[in-house]
Amino acid sequence: MVQTALAEKALSIKDLTKDYPGVRAVDTVSFDIEPNTVHCLVGENGAGKSTIVKMLTGALEPTSGTMAVLGKPYQPNSTQDARNGGIGTLFQELHVVDQLTVLENLTMGMEVSRFGFLIKSDLEDRVTKTLAAIEPGIDPNARVSSLSVAQKQIVEIARAASSGANIIIMDEPTAALSEREVERLFGVIRRLRDSDVTVIYISHKLDEIFELGDNVTVMRDGKHIATKPLAQVNGRPELIEMMVGRSITHDYRPRGDIADNPVLTVKGLNSHLLKDVSFQVNAGEIIGFYGLVGAGKTEVARAIYGADKAHGQVTFKGRPRARSPKEAIASGIALVPEERRTEGLFTALTIRRNIPIMNINKLAKFGIFQDDQEKSVAKEYVSKLGIATNSVEKYAEKLSGGNQQKVVLAKCLFADADLLLLDEPTRGVDVGAKSEIYDLIRDFANTGRAVCVFSSELEEVLGLCDRIFLMYDGRVEAEIRNGATVDIPKILNIVTGGGKAGT
Amino acid sequence: MTDQAIAGRRLQARDNKLSDEMFITALVAGAAIVLFLLASMLVPNFFQFQNVVNLVTNNWSVIALGVGVTFLLVSGNFDLSVGGIVALSGVMAVWFAQASDGTNPLSTGWGLPAWLAMMGALLCAVMIGALNALFVVVLRVPSIIVTLGTMMLARGIAQVVTQGSQRNTNLPSDFGALGNMTMFGTSIKLPVVLMAALILIAVFVERKTVFGRLTYLIGANPVASRLSGVDNARHVVNLYLFSSLVAGGVGILLASEFKSGFSNRGTLMEFDALVISLLGGVAIAGGFGSVIGMFFGAIVLATVTSAATGLVLSPDWQFTLKAIAVFIAIMAQTWALARRHSS
Repeated sequence: MVQTALAEKALSIKDLTKDYPGVRAVDTVSFDIEPNTVHCLVGENGAGKSTIVKMLTGALEPTSGTMAVLGKPYQPNSTQDARNGGIGTLFQELHVVDQLTVLENLTMGMEVSRFGFLIKSDLEDRVTKTLAAIEPGIDPNARVSSLSVAQKQIVEIARAASSGANIIIMDEPTAALSEREVERLFGVIRRLRDSDVTVIYISHKLDEIFELGDNVTVMRDGKHIATKPLAQVNGRPELIEMMVGRSITHDYRPRGDIADNPVLTVKGLNSHLLKDVSFQVNAGEIIGFYGLVGAGKTEVARAIYGADKAHGQVTFKGRPRARSPKEAIASGIALVPEERRTEGLFTALTIRRNIPIMNINKLAKFGIFQDDQEKSVAKEYVSKLGIATNSVEKYAEKLSGGNQQKVVLAKCLFADADLLLLDEPTRGVDVGAKSEIYDLIRDFANTGRAVCVFSSELEEVLGLCDRIFLMYDGRVEAEIRNGATVDIPKILNIVTGGGKAGT
Repeated sequence: MTDQAIAGRRLQARDNKLSDEMFITALVAGAAIVLFLLASMLVPNFFQFQNVVNLVTNNWSVIALGVGVTFLLVSGNFDLSVGGIVALSGVMAVWFAQASDGTNPLSTGWGLPAWLAMMGALLCAVMIGALNALFVVVLRVPSIIVTLGTMMLARGIAQVVTQGSQRNTNLPSDFGALGNMTMFGTSIKLPVVLMAALILIAVFVERKTVFGRLTYLIGANPVASRLSGVDNARHVVNLYLFSSLVAGGVGILLASEFKSGFSNRGTLMEFDALVISLLGGVAIAGGFGSVIGMFFGAIVLATVTSAATGLVLSPDWQFTLKAIAVFIAIMAQTWALARRHSS
């Protein structure tokens, strides 16, 4: 059986396409994955990697195209189907049960029972051996709750391997790991490969790709760009070139000279993730923070806003760092949070009720709420921001992503902020609303107030920001001034971890 | 759903004339009326104005407790300690007021004047509320566990103080004044009037003030409310203190009415207060509900139980009937809201 498996491709994808209304997320993609290799999948956010993974794991149904595992047609309808078809997945959220032991986790769902009672079988021996083969350091009888995140990941990998998966997909598995844990995970992945398992490895960190991968597939804008052995890739520059192409166009218009008039000064900001972050923001300036997911952008925003614990010197208009969002708002800072639906909006409330929330006392006299004023304020902001709705009484959950985001922005504008912190301001927002939001941001800055945009979309920061701070692994690695001459490959090199090595 | 379909629905949508809360409140009020008429057809002599008055006056204590419980539920927190606090504050008020020269331990107290004894008892009640706030807000223990604990603690202290029974002797003559004072030349007693005043104030706070608004916001989305500058912690602390203050007041008024401090008084009242809130349309997950709804929920429950007594069902059936009423009411609400949102 091993011989036939070697002859066949572990996975072959042919003309795979996935359409969403108005968008083709994956566009006639075809490539093969050789058995017993580590096959890397790279591309920018939105390139279509996660859509492919979702189709492989049965979470999404392809619009057209076929997939085959070891030469056999493969059409999963659920993750259970995918597992039966030999594809296991290591998701970013772990699915282990903390209260059980490692062994119980490994045998979960495969227990042998008689008359409803569990009986001993060779299953336990088998999974124990699998675990020992990939990571001898984990005691099978330990409680999973006592393990680190990295060890839990390994338990999950072992479960996939012992349930007979020939292919294991790992989506950004190192996002939450320390450097030493990453090394150990790489050891596990190599041992998996040596024991006839194919690994599909997805990561933004290009160093990891070069260290670990045998072959690489590059995706861009839903299209397949190339699949080739990493040995034939000429270093990071070629990989970045393939990922970006020449497709990034940006319409940055220089906004005239901005005086050196700092409103926000951050010196030596440290937190559980941030390392010595320092920068200044001038009045009237739009600042960008660009980096991959997990680089620390959100943490910078939340630290300035007083939402998270952090150490370091933050001065806004001469005042020290806010210790709570309430203090931040009072001092003139407003945040558009990363997760619009869970952190920014009250989806169960109407537009009218949402807009005044950040400055609710402005609509009150002696603690009594002025209902009629609220309505006129809501109407004013709906028209000012162009929120597409026929009524201010509409529930926020019924609005489209772009209009929801505009409601969140309206909340911040109503708070009379002098500094807007925008965390992923256009994620999940359609193109039209996107450019309207950009115009609102520019208008805001043109009145002499400051904006910080925290984004993992390069096009966004290049189109909008006057200065850009590049973040990697909790640090600000570089500062660049935006303009026609920005060196995009250099930016990508820095945010993928190439800044320190000097490659 | 396609973009076109969404756009189509957007065009069709109109202003909702009633908010969801008003809709549910109207639904519960309607149910209360229908149930009352139904009971009037089945039970002889049920259809009397005095009977309507009785439904309210006999339940003033639970309705008053329901106000604090409703505010806390709307903010996303439970308060199961109110029944225990009713027992504690009543027992403490009596103990503080009993003369210090009794013939046995149960008739001997601190000899304080009645008003001072009641203030002291109120303080004990608020301390239980502070304990709730400490564990829920500062130590972040789930409120259902914390208040279950403080419920037992409060009743436990009451039992120790009364040696498991009650204190009812050696009280100053004015101790019974508050609980038995009748108002406006009718048979309506002061506690009922206080309850009505509490409801009116609560409705005003809930509908018209920033404080009321913030309560809804915290319950609807605590993460977003914190990031929008709401001091969730302080607000929930205030709500627990308020709820315990109301429960303390109820306990003292009951002690005054019966001139006794009884350690089993208020048993299961916390559950009745929770049930009438849920019957009244308060969402158990927070962010939704109203005090008026809770009031009509209490009327529904009272109608069901008193009609059952009138129908010569043995009192043993009360719990079963309450259970049926709760299930029907909650299913009807879920169904009505879902229909409303899909139309």
